[in-house]
Amino acid sequence: MAANLEEIRGALEAIVGRANLSGDAPDMIPYIKDSYSTMMGREVPLPDFVVMPKTAEEVQEIVKLANQHLFPIYPRSFGVNIAGSALPYAGGVVLDLKRMDRIIEINEDTMTATIEPGVTWGRLRKEANKKGLDVIPIGGPYQTSPVGNHLLTNITLYSSKYHCDRAVTLKAVLPNGEILRTGSWASAVGGEVNPYFRYAYGPDMTGMFRGSLGNYGIIVEMVERLRPVAPVEKNVFFGFEELAPCLKAMQAVERLEFSRTCQASNSSMTAHLILSPHRIKDPEQRQKLLARLPNYQITLGLGGTEEMVALFERVANEKIAEYGGKPFCLEPEEMAILNQVAEGASRGIMHMYAPCSGFAAVIGCLPITHVAEINGIVKQIVGKYDLRDPLSGEPLDHQLIVLPYDRCSTVYVEQEILYDPALDQAQLLPVMQCLRDCYAQIVGKYGASHTIPNKTLMKNMLPSYVELLTGFKKMVDPNNIMMPGGPYSLD
Amino acid sequence: MEATNLALVKENVTKCMGCGICRGVWERKDVAMCPVWATGVGFEDSSPRGRVTVAQDILDSHISYSSPLADSVFRCTDCGCCATTCDAMDPNTLEPIVNVPQIVRAMRMDLVENSLVPPLVRDYMKAVHINGNPYKQPQDARGNWAKGSEVPLYSGQEYLFYVGDVGSYDERGQKMARSVAKLLMTGGVSLGILGSEEYSDGNDTMVMGESGLFQYLAEANIAAFKKHSIKKIISLDPHSYNAFANHYDQWGAGFQIQHYSEVLAELLSTGRLSPGRLGIKATYHDPCYLGRHNEIYEAPRKVLGAVPGLKLVEMPRMRKSAFCCGGGGGNFFTDLIGGGECSPNRVRIREALDTGAEVVAVACPLCAKMLEDALKAESLDDRIAVKDISEILLDSFA
Repeated sequence: MAANLEEIRGALEAIVGRANLSGDAPDMIPYIKDSYSTMMGREVPLPDFVVMPKTAEEVQEIVKLANQHLFPIYPRSFGVNIAGSALPYAGGVVLDLKRMDRIIEINEDTMTATIEPGVTWGRLRKEANKKGLDVIPIGGPYQTSPVGNHLLTNITLYSSKYHCDRAVTLKAVLPNGEILRTGSWASAVGGEVNPYFRYAYGPDMTGMFRGSLGNYGIIVEMVERLRPVAPVEKNVFFGFEELAPCLKAMQAVERLEFSRTCQASNSSMTAHLILSPHRIKDPEQRQKLLARLPNYQITLGLGGTEEMVALFERVANEKIAEYGGKPFCLEPEEMAILNQVAEGASRGIMHMYAPCSGFAAVIGCLPITHVAEINGIVKQIVGKYDLRDPLSGEPLDHQLIVLPYDRCSTVYVEQEILYDPALDQAQLLPVMQCLRDCYAQIVGKYGASHTIPNKTLMKNMLPSYVELLTGFKKMVDPNNIMMPGGPYSLD
Repeated sequence: MEATNLALVKENVTKCMGCGICRGVWERKDVAMCPVWATGVGFEDSSPRGRVTVAQDILDSHISYSSPLADSVFRCTDCGCCATTCDAMDPNTLEPIVNVPQIVRAMRMDLVENSLVPPLVRDYMKAVHINGNPYKQPQDARGNWAKGSEVPLYSGQEYLFYVGDVGSYDERGQKMARSVAKLLMTGGVSLGILGSEEYSDGNDTMVMGESGLFQYLAEANIAAFKKHSIKKIISLDPHSYNAFANHYDQWGAGFQIQHYSEVLAELLSTGRLSPGRLGIKATYHDPCYLGRHNEIYEAPRKVLGAVPGLKLVEMPRMRKSAFCCGGGGGNFFTDLIGGGECSPNRVRIREALDTGAEVVAVACPLCAKMLEDALKAESLDDRIAVKDISEILLDSFA
């Protein structure tokens, strides 16, 4: 790219305007780092340019230019991801899509919103609420983009009732610069007036983009499923001494099909959610809180009329009691945080990073039957490496959260290992080795799956599966301009 | 290129995990938001997270300080909202582990030392250096705001009334200084001003990284205070308050400092001031250097609360989460953020308007000016007024 850099700059400037392009290092450095690259010690090169397009047409022009000059493109929506999924591994051009921030429509009849990638779920929630609708919770900060989330998939959590798949249809700029629309929107005749049906005209093309992390193109509009705001919403909390009955109870309650959201966690996770450092007066408080917390918790989100919520709560109490669980309550401030988390709100979730700022996650999706076993395995491996809690210096009690990813047929399990981010690469080695061992066990023995096409995990896939994924990529992106070189690349 | 000051806060820099929460979010009205990021203009380096990432690369010697970088670094308003939004805090000290304002100040000091400041910053520094104030006005005109009033020069009174640059030279600031002085004297406070013996407090010089000039100004002020045996000071400007309360002691200041809102609140609670009825709805804008930097949230509200008939309606972003008017960190003088629909002062005035208030109350001459400019830009002059809390109090007497 260096040979014709000035020519490319001129062409990009002509597309997005001078103010929306930068080739200056200070402007571009924030786009090459996140906690993933820091932890892995991965040096990501500076891109040649960062550009901020405003329209789908501008994106198309940029993509066509990339094919002409064969430079890589790395799109990012609102830049919340900290797992290295939007870093420019092979340089080229970063597309910062934050200026594409229109909420094009909120449709009360179809309960959908048509949005651009720069729309955050917090903003969408605010606008949807005005029409009696709400966003299906995302387990990330309010700044998370629903479009980026669709591409990533693994932070779509919590909603057992509404399933994990919130995208209906989408409009994407393919790597060749052409526009693709999916579902009923795909029709050139009438598609514009009915973009609301996902399962039209054969295989699920909206699903093809889910987890694709930009490999197949850039989503410029997406029709997002919403849900009605319940007249009364309430979260209820139950405690258990053992994990196995907690998981059984979770399964049983989910089968009753009335909870809007559901999650289980261990006390280590709950303590980190609650203990914003704002609230820690002295480190002993953590121990005191842990002593007050049940070992494992279930949180259920209920919604409906007052009578419905009261009924649901009574039934949930009865069902949970069958497995030895009991309702629990903490101080009002602590409960407020737990309520925020249950609603998918950002600050509560960010609290879990707070005391030490660094965490490595072992993630797997598998039947709930195996969760207790893999929790034991991770505990054993963490113990083997003698990892320490960066806050207390005590042996690390890893954090566990379990979410019914796909109506509880499969649960999403995240087990987090906290570390001090100030550790250097050598000091981080045991953490990384521990991660590898955990993944080897839970993938090899239990077939726990990830939600994104991580290259390391792809080595375990059937050749036919990989051939399809990469074959589709080759077909739509013959010049391999989209997202090349990274851990999530399908090249 | 030397990064000696940044190296001193290295541990602060390396703790950032890059989540970006510090940028804030429009939708959570109770959460602070970076006023520079909120403008929607600029790349990721306009955000607190972006600034820290750049700082990391400077420390790793991947890049050096440069003029384009300086433009970005000097746009920060030092409002401190990122430090309150970031939850990564030391559990023992409750101090933010990633204190972005501290990192930005260190970068600015390096930029000053490497002669890489933007022209507008250079002009500010030059004006303060040559004239003792950024308005390029003569030093002996510093007390002119008090001419025609009964405010005396300091001659052993209990308090020095320190008005600062904006109160001394800016028309809006002068009006506010007169109003505060009148109320204080009505309440029986024994005070005087230094007039031409007062020097710039240096707060904005300090946050813009010119530590040498700041020290010079601080020592000049301290010498003047000592010469007159001044023990107690009432400041008009929260910027001055910040410099006096948090930085002057290193040069042996040793005096007591109060913001005028604290003194007014005291006069009202002890009955030395008795406001009349004023049937208005007002909202209060927390100045960053009074609120977030010095945690004075109650006193101005007590002043407003003491006015019979005044209904205080809070903006959702208030107190620790208040949205900066954009005038901090030197931007009041340099205007590196620029105007536009999403400029911080215009955003803030719209937030005030949304409360249904007829008056937005302030307790800082810089905020007053910034928000009045926003009123004009938004053509809202006939819907909401900007008034200092002292002016509201005086209105009630009328």
